[in-house]
Amino acid sequence: MSFWKNTKAVFQRELRQMFARPIYVFAPIIVMAFTFVFFLTFFQEGVPQELPIGVVDHDHSTMSRRVVREFNAIQAVHVNKNYSSYSEARQDLQDGKIYGFVEIPTDWYANVGGNKRPELTIYVNNAYLLGGTLSYRGMLTLGNLASGAYERIVLRMKGVQEDQLMGLLQPIIIDAHQIGNVYTNYGIYLLNLLIPGVLQLLILLTTAFAIGYELKSKSSKKWLETANGSMIAAMVGKLLPYSFLFVILGIGSNVILYDFCGYPINGHEYNMMLNMILFVFSSQCMGIFAIGLFPILRESIFFCSFYGILAFSLAGFTFPVEYMHPVWSGLANLFPLRHFFLFYSKEAVFATGFAGWWPQVIGMLAFGFFPIAIYKRLENALIKQNYPLK
Amino acid sequence: MKEQLKTIWKVFRMESSLVFHDSGVLLIFFVAAIVYPILYNFIYYNDVLEETPVAIIDQSGTAASRRYLRKVDATPYVSITDFCTDMDEATKLMKKRKVNGIILIPSNYNEKLIHHEQATISTYSDMSAFLYYKNIVMATNYVMLDEMDEIHLERYEMLGYSGEEAQQFINAVPYEENTLYNPASGFGAFLLPAILIVILHQTIFFGICMVGGTAREENRFNTLLSKEINSRGIIAVVFGKALVYLLIYAVLTAYGLGLIPYIFNMPHIGSYGEMLKLMLPFLLATIFFSLTFGTIIKRRESGLILFLFFSLILLFLSGFSWPESNISNFWRLVSYLFPSTFGIQGYIKINSAGALVSEIPRDYLGLWAQTGFYFLTACVAYRFSQIHGHKINAIKQKIHKVRAKTIANRFGIDEKELLDEGDYAPDEVNNTDNSETTDNTEKAD
Repeated sequence: MSFWKNTKAVFQRELRQMFARPIYVFAPIIVMAFTFVFFLTFFQEGVPQELPIGVVDHDHSTMSRRVVREFNAIQAVHVNKNYSSYSEARQDLQDGKIYGFVEIPTDWYANVGGNKRPELTIYVNNAYLLGGTLSYRGMLTLGNLASGAYERIVLRMKGVQEDQLMGLLQPIIIDAHQIGNVYTNYGIYLLNLLIPGVLQLLILLTTAFAIGYELKSKSSKKWLETANGSMIAAMVGKLLPYSFLFVILGIGSNVILYDFCGYPINGHEYNMMLNMILFVFSSQCMGIFAIGLFPILRESIFFCSFYGILAFSLAGFTFPVEYMHPVWSGLANLFPLRHFFLFYSKEAVFATGFAGWWPQVIGMLAFGFFPIAIYKRLENALIKQNYPLK
Repeated sequence: MKEQLKTIWKVFRMESSLVFHDSGVLLIFFVAAIVYPILYNFIYYNDVLEETPVAIIDQSGTAASRRYLRKVDATPYVSITDFCTDMDEATKLMKKRKVNGIILIPSNYNEKLIHHEQATISTYSDMSAFLYYKNIVMATNYVMLDEMDEIHLERYEMLGYSGEEAQQFINAVPYEENTLYNPASGFGAFLLPAILIVILHQTIFFGICMVGGTAREENRFNTLLSKEINSRGIIAVVFGKALVYLLIYAVLTAYGLGLIPYIFNMPHIGSYGEMLKLMLPFLLATIFFSLTFGTIIKRRESGLILFLFFSLILLFLSGFSWPESNISNFWRLVSYLFPSTFGIQGYIKINSAGALVSEIPRDYLGLWAQTGFYFLTACVAYRFSQIHGHKINAIKQKIHKVRAKTIANRFGIDEKELLDEGDYAPDEVNNTDNSETTDNTEKAD
């Protein structure tokens, strides 16, 4: 029973300290709130539309002018400017003012009518991958539509029957299903992982700071005395208030995403809460590990920043981990955010339930071994306080 | 003028000794700024996603469907890893993440084609990462277009059109496509230039915040300016400080933007001269920006703890990913506050697209405008902390005088003697005194 008494003593001491310098309680809340406001307003559009493109019209015919009108009629792109020369358009492309442009050759209309099949040329700036790809898709759609429209007119003139027309025009169609994000919404794709990513940064830094500050201000002995010398009671008591704070922030994030913003979730929200609790636990374990490995505040903060930022890449939600070098796909398992992502993709996207994500549960619980690995080292540091202060 | 130069030199020496004797700052400048570019290049070394595993359900089982699937498998985008008999089986594989997509060819596929009707192929993609979806769409669509051309030709032949005449129907308006500046559509070639600039921006910011925070933690009067600099010209102080970081980052920029893209064969078609022209205002703007904000930071680690997440925000604000044209006016205005926005845009245009500085006036002049603006704010911020410092100084002196007077009265010593001895400089502060002041600042937080 003395364990609980010790833990309670440390818990109360930590609460007092937290409210003595409330910035460390409010900072995570403010950061999370800002992150939400920023990303929700930033990706409000879902899919970028009306991307600026250009047209270089050497033809100046009714048909080339119609191309411009048709471009403006589709959602994906918008013709910002008619250029008189290729070099002008290329310069704006280079400057990022437009993401792509179409060059219409001289006598294009006449040559289409004369069955000479003159070529349109499409230029895309893929240094901006998203803008480039989407505007390219828009221009391509129009290219295919133009071909189809012309074909339809000629076939009708030749007397082909309407019901045969579609079969002739497009014999195969593809019916694409996007599981987990029907509208290919960019916000849904990124926010589900960016939010826990930011939360993870905060957990790592706060954990390392809470322990490291005891070392820095040489109060770690007092801290251990409060816990009657029990390391476990000292750790649990100290970090539990933060666990509550972060679990509330994490579950609050889920509620905002799934209930208020209506983000799709195919599985159950309670399971995602479990995911969040495990995620907070594993991130806190890594925070303890950081301060145990480097029992100097500045170095552990540096380690946490370094590690926390890498997590965004190695979670694999932007560029899949399995396509990276095997070293990276192996190392990715050392990041809680990776396990969170796999759990999310199984539960929220595919609704697999426990049968699908049990390996992630074990994976995240296994982070509990990290603090055990540095247990002795940290205890020594707390008692001897023999590390430089700065 | 000579006096000014002397101050600059003095501040320069003091600031560089602060930087080079602080292992925390050295970690940020020389480990983060050197290791991050290498790590990110290794992570995104294979930056083109190829052979995404897909499962196939071929309910048609005819020559036509097999031909389609063979072609799909032959594209670089996907690789058929599993053949399933029904949707249940394929879904199970997808749930285990063994495949990232499913292609279903219905049983009536061949029949429809024979009857000159429209046949439908269904695809199911894992949307947990967009790149899976992109690959599956690319593979199925390219093969569809290719198959359509063949089927088209057959059908027109049956209607009595062949050769060029049929081609005129099928492809009346052909097009040619040119993908510029990142021809392979590589993810690394797209992401890394922006990352490199953010690394420079953030390491400067956190490094300077740490120096500023340390100065406040350690200085007896809790001011950024130690007593001796206080009376001299603020402009010279700001210049002297900036010079230290400019010199350090001249080397790190040459490494990060010159050497790294060359070694890892990232896009680097811009000229070094143009890059230099852009990076000078970028570094200056970032340094003055950080010096300004560094005066607010009270403790050495606070900068990292409070603003680490901002690295992400800066990346998105720059408009390298989510298109700049689609960023709301409010966030676009906010983005103009940060040197990283113009830095990233300018660097991508010069380095990846080969632009000249004269062709990107917005980014170039934007950076110089920021340099001017943040130089002024840095001067104001330092002036403010200087006045603040003097005030505290005066109070402390008053307390000292009163104390000296009481002591003098009690022990009958000459008051002036005590005051001469009591001329305190920060380094004279003993340890107990120091811990007291930090405790006080803590409560002040």
